[in-house]
Amino acid sequence: MSSSPDRPDDRPDERLADLEADLLALGESLAVPAPPPSGVARAVRARLEREASPDGRGREAVPGSGPGADPGRADRNRWGILRRLRPSPRRVAAGVAVVLAVLLGATPQGRAAVASVLRFAGVEIHVGEPGPLPTGVPRPLPGERRVTLDEARASVRFPVAVPTALPEPADVRVADGGRVVTLLWPGIRLDEYDGTLGVVFRKELGEPWPEEQPQIRGWWIQRPHGVSYVPSNGVPREERVAGPTLIWQRHAVGLRLEGPDRARALRIAASVR
Amino acid sequence: MDDDEAVARSLAGDLDAYEVLVTRYSAAAHRTASLLGAGDEADDVVQEAFVKAFRHLASFRREAAFKPWLLRIVANETHNVTRSRGRRTDLGLRLEARGEPGGPEDPQDAAVAADGRGRLLDAVRRLPEREREVLVCRYFLQLSEAETAEVLRVRLGTVKSRAFRGLKRLREEVGRELLA
Repeated sequence: MSSSPDRPDDRPDERLADLEADLLALGESLAVPAPPPSGVARAVRARLEREASPDGRGREAVPGSGPGADPGRADRNRWGILRRLRPSPRRVAAGVAVVLAVLLGATPQGRAAVASVLRFAGVEIHVGEPGPLPTGVPRPLPGERRVTLDEARASVRFPVAVPTALPEPADVRVADGGRVVTLLWPGIRLDEYDGTLGVVFRKELGEPWPEEQPQIRGWWIQRPHGVSYVPSNGVPREERVAGPTLIWQRHAVGLRLEGPDRARALRIAASVR
Repeated sequence: MDDDEAVARSLAGDLDAYEVLVTRYSAAAHRTASLLGAGDEADDVVQEAFVKAFRHLASFRREAAFKPWLLRIVANETHNVTRSRGRRTDLGLRLEARGEPGGPEDPQDAAVAADGRGRLLDAVRRLPEREREVLVCRYFLQLSEAETAEVLRVRLGTVKSRAFRGLKRLREEVGRELLA
């Protein structure tokens, strides 16, 4: 029996273990380029959405989004896409996200050329020529009444979320037959609504565009802008001026947080339970 | 949101929940596709795999782990791509031009180490495909034997035997080079 260390059959288990360790180290050092996961997620979602659309229309098929397109026509076409996706509320919400991806995930040139309607989490955002800010004064929402948090939870069909980064809300309102719950703190307003219902709020704004906030999968509107409540009959009520606002969706619930600056808004949003 | 909840919600058509899963496993899927030989087509393979996984989510056994189930689809898509282009799969990868992380290192040692890794990688590349795939799953993707079996659609015993044969072959190859 030879004891030469060069004999590969000597102590095979130990030698294989060394080799296994070398392979693991080699694997660690292998660079595998990959696109950012959020981009992959968006691309996959866009494909699933495209396939969900009955006539297979998708991003490339959105007409009127090129430079010089008539914004009104483009909007009508997008509405058409949304209508075709209407069969289930989830579909509608998902379709909304695709439209967002089309408009905001596109090239900067594409962004500049499109004056359009974004619908996300129950909020319809009109982006285009910045008009004058509305003069309407804040009014209560239709049928708005003060309630306790527990009463609010009992009277709406969606789960009412509460940010743990803030104390108990100073005031809780339920409006429009349980369609919207509003939590209020000094200087802070958090509206919650069924994000799959369709449009609940409508916002008018120009540049700068809303900024995507991937950490909460939402959008930040940094400028004061006009906002109006859209009752279930679809006719928007008069506008008021809203401050910087964070919009996001948590499960099926749409949320809009108005008042804090972006960093604080994101912290509050991340603490919602 | 854990995988179980995300899968359940995805099954109900919640694309937000599915996006959570895609984001979570995108990197692992890319690494798997690349290391199993998808090359330039890794991005397409991964997208296709995620779309197929969503369509077939109903066939996913809920008590099982999502990751190996997904990587199995990725591996299958990779095979489809490499078969269709009709050439031997290759490890579409390169060694990263960096030293071992942590601690000062003699550049000469680093060069020797990098050289050793390069030779080992070449030897892995030359392995028969079935053995190479098992070793890639076990050591480059750090999957367990059971996960490797699921991803490559082979039995656990097959994973063990192919891994052993592959390791032995590597040891002989590398040993021979060192002696040369």
